[in-house]
Amino acid sequence: MKPPEPGTWRRTSPLAILFFLGKLFRDIAKNAWQSFAPIAALLIASSGNIMDRLMIGAVVALILVIVASVLRYWFFRFRITEDSVLIREGVVKKKQLDIKFDRIQGINVEQNIVYRYLDLVTVSFDTAGSSGDEGNLPAVPKAFAEALREKIGRPLGRACAVDSTENIADSEPLLTLDWRDMIRIGLSDTRVLLILALLSPLLDRLGDEADTVISRAINSATQGAMQFGVVGGVPLFVAIGIGVILSFALVSIAAAFLRYHDFTLHLDGSTLRSRGGLLTRHEVSMDLGKIQTLRLRQGIILRGFARFQMTARQARSSHKNDSSKNFTIPVVTQELATSLRRRFLQQEGRGLVQIPTSSHFNAISKYSMRIPVLVNVLIPMLVTAITYSIEGDLATLLFLLWIPMSLLHIFKTWQHAGFHFTDDGLVRRSGTFGYRTVALLYRKVQRVTVSRSPLQRRKGLATLRVYMASGSVRIPYIEHELALQLRDVILYKVESSQKAWH
Amino acid sequence: MFQNPEIALEDLPGMEDLAWQNLHPDFVRRMQVEHALIALAPLAGVAVLSVLLHIPLLQTVLLWALAIGFAIVFVSWPRISVPRRGYVVRDKDIVFRSGVIWQSVTAIPYNRIQHVETSNTPLDRKFDVATLQLFTAGGSGGDLKIDGLGAEVAEQLRIYILGKVGVSIETA
Repeated sequence: MKPPEPGTWRRTSPLAILFFLGKLFRDIAKNAWQSFAPIAALLIASSGNIMDRLMIGAVVALILVIVASVLRYWFFRFRITEDSVLIREGVVKKKQLDIKFDRIQGINVEQNIVYRYLDLVTVSFDTAGSSGDEGNLPAVPKAFAEALREKIGRPLGRACAVDSTENIADSEPLLTLDWRDMIRIGLSDTRVLLILALLSPLLDRLGDEADTVISRAINSATQGAMQFGVVGGVPLFVAIGIGVILSFALVSIAAAFLRYHDFTLHLDGSTLRSRGGLLTRHEVSMDLGKIQTLRLRQGIILRGFARFQMTARQARSSHKNDSSKNFTIPVVTQELATSLRRRFLQQEGRGLVQIPTSSHFNAISKYSMRIPVLVNVLIPMLVTAITYSIEGDLATLLFLLWIPMSLLHIFKTWQHAGFHFTDDGLVRRSGTFGYRTVALLYRKVQRVTVSRSPLQRRKGLATLRVYMASGSVRIPYIEHELALQLRDVILYKVESSQKAWH
Repeated sequence: MFQNPEIALEDLPGMEDLAWQNLHPDFVRRMQVEHALIALAPLAGVAVLSVLLHIPLLQTVLLWALAIGFAIVFVSWPRISVPRRGYVVRDKDIVFRSGVIWQSVTAIPYNRIQHVETSNTPLDRKFDVATLQLFTAGGSGGDLKIDGLGAEVAEQLRIYILGKVGVSIETA
């Protein structure tokens, strides 16, 4: 691989037009209302019947978009200098983007199906700055991307004894995912659960109806033949419900295949790298030193599969709550999660346990349940009392069902909350029916707050909130003494640390 | 408890006997002026209502009582809340406390500060106070705002902290 020669302005391959097309379509979809308003105006202004107008409108729009993409390609130039990437683009509004190598947190590579045949990739730079300014190099040769990565990676490279000749392709992958994992990813997608939740009241009602129908059927068993049609209708409803869920699950599994097919995870020196995708290949990389928090998530379904989702978060830009700076490993086993955590946090992470069922976790105070319990018991009672006194309808007593449900929720949330710490870092556990754990190292902390509500002051408790560059981690209702000690240790670690936090 | 190989927990500098610095003495009045201006809105609303609409006397009196009661509490609130705010400038970090009902103490180490900003509104200038804002990485809630510092103190702090940030920055 020859390093990219510095100093010359280059154009990307004409196939970058595809990239700009895709981007334009995405922008249009995002701002659908504004984009379609002029088209609608055009349609109304032109003569002819509706179908003709629609056709003309579509053709005009398509031509406009293609011309715009070609122009964008034509005006796109980039240049790699000794220490930065320079990008000049824009047809009407010129944009100049200079990204210094040391601001680049990661280089991500995407390869759609056309590019794959031609060995081209789209490179995107992950920078710590505002996410709107992030640069892309569409349709550049893959070898160029590799060379660029090496060029940028070297000055960033932290002290790690790794043969520079070692190629990622040769190194043993830490993880590969097969079709069974795709099914796990697809089924554990929270959106499936959401649909289930949305449908469940409907299913309940179907169940009730089925009950009445069945009892009626039994009562009039002699007229069995007549009732048969009605009874046959209910299973049809149920079948449709199940069919909807199944098809959502299938779509979700298909999405998992699209995004994660042939997923591999490599640790290349201190750079974590993942590849995967069926049509478009995504290659994401993150420097281990940039990890701010390490998260494990296990919803109900993943719990059934005994798997976790692991996410490494790096510093995010100050404007948006963007998830593009996350490095996600969609399914891992407990053993792998442990060994990955060891590799990611290295020496400093020793002793930290992230598996939620571990006995290392300390519970938070039971007083954390007091206010939620009061709110969720008193308010439904009040509402019931008022509506009952007005309506006098016994059905209003159904409001009271809220109480046991919320009590279960509050208790589960308390039960799943926990924390555990060592000299160098801490882990917080949360979740209601599933689990989430977040591990962090003290020396990467940005700011610490200890706060106390009146109840906490009376009971000698406090809430510790630790702000990381990737967001904050809150440990509520712990001993005040302990919160103060943890804060002092964190401050000591931050203030005496000589290592870069990012 | 901790087994800290480098330094024993008891030896860690705690915050038990910090000498909290108060905000500028005029800041209470400055906040009261601001709150008084804000409280004028509901009072004006009630005034308009009682003139334009023909509300029975009892309701009018109630409305006025409510609006005035709110205004009194709102305007006197800074007398309670401002004295409970304070800060301590230490060698390696700055500590800020605030809150009457929910009390919190925040510490920001200098070597995590990205940039420092001082600002003042026309009202601030009238009372010769300023706001110091310290930004750390990580966006939402990642910054600490200390308002009601004396204008001179805010400027001194800004320069002092910038100097500290410069010293402790690691050359990446």
